[in-house]
Amino acid sequence: MASQDVLFEFLHHEIVAYCNSKSKKEKEDVSELEYIGFACGYRIIERLTKDWPRFKEELDMLKFLCTDFWSSIYQRQVDNLRTNHQGVYVLFDNEFRFLSRISEGNQYLEFAPQYVSYTCGLIRGALANLGITCIVTAEVHLMPACRFHIQVQKS
Amino acid sequence: MIRSYNAKMIYNLYIFDKTGKLLFYTEWNRFKQSGMSRNEEGKLMYGMLFSLKNFVTKISPYDMKQGFLCFKTNKYALHFMETPSGLKFVLNTDISAQKVREILQQLYNNVYVNYVTRNPIHNLQDSIKSELFKSKLNSFMKQTHIYLSK
Repeated sequence: MASQDVLFEFLHHEIVAYCNSKSKKEKEDVSELEYIGFACGYRIIERLTKDWPRFKEELDMLKFLCTDFWSSIYQRQVDNLRTNHQGVYVLFDNEFRFLSRISEGNQYLEFAPQYVSYTCGLIRGALANLGITCIVTAEVHLMPACRFHIQVQKS
Repeated sequence: MIRSYNAKMIYNLYIFDKTGKLLFYTEWNRFKQSGMSRNEEGKLMYGMLFSLKNFVTKISPYDMKQGFLCFKTNKYALHFMETPSGLKFVLNTDISAQKVREILQQLYNNVYVNYVTRNPIHNLQDSIKSELFKSKLNSFMKQTHIYLSK
């Protein structure tokens, strides 16, 4: 059982390495990585919510994201969810799975963006299929804690 | 400083990869240096281990699976463990330390695999520079039964 989640971890590492090698610019380009996450998130949310009734409101969708969605992918729940009730949500994960093996503190901080952009895409894709268009960005100040900012776009 | 040579102690640790490169070295209690650079010392240690392993297998009266495990002197014992992937762990402890093989096995399972193999930034052919690995290694060693701080 434990070998199954390690498999995903290693695959994710290789996806990041592959995207880095493909990127032609000097600076590493995370938009491809984010799109891969988007496509995955879009489909995975369909699979995860197949037995659930329709969500009443945006906040319920975000709560589902923080509990069931996060625990089926990262084996833990989001530690904190904050919102200003005006379309901005912040997810706090104090031990983000892809960063917890890299460092504790500041070492290797410059590599952190590459390892969180897949997840940004994942969140964006999941919410897109639930009917919410948004922009997702991530902030890492001290590994392995990570914050995801979700800004809902009103059409 | 009073040094009790009969107390249980861990002296130092070497980690080699399958090509013989010294990936990691750390010491907790080392009272005498070997007089050569770390690299030279690593090469000497690796060459000696290689020869010892071959010698032990050749001279053995039985067919052996594991082969060379450790050697003892009057002041320290050197414990050796090799993984299927060719990684070699060498731990020097004092002579009264028991069950060091288990400690080496747990070190590999819980510390090396989790914080080196699973670290995407670390290139497996390079020496280990991760601070997380060092701090996890130290806290792992401190909670083993053979560690005694000075």
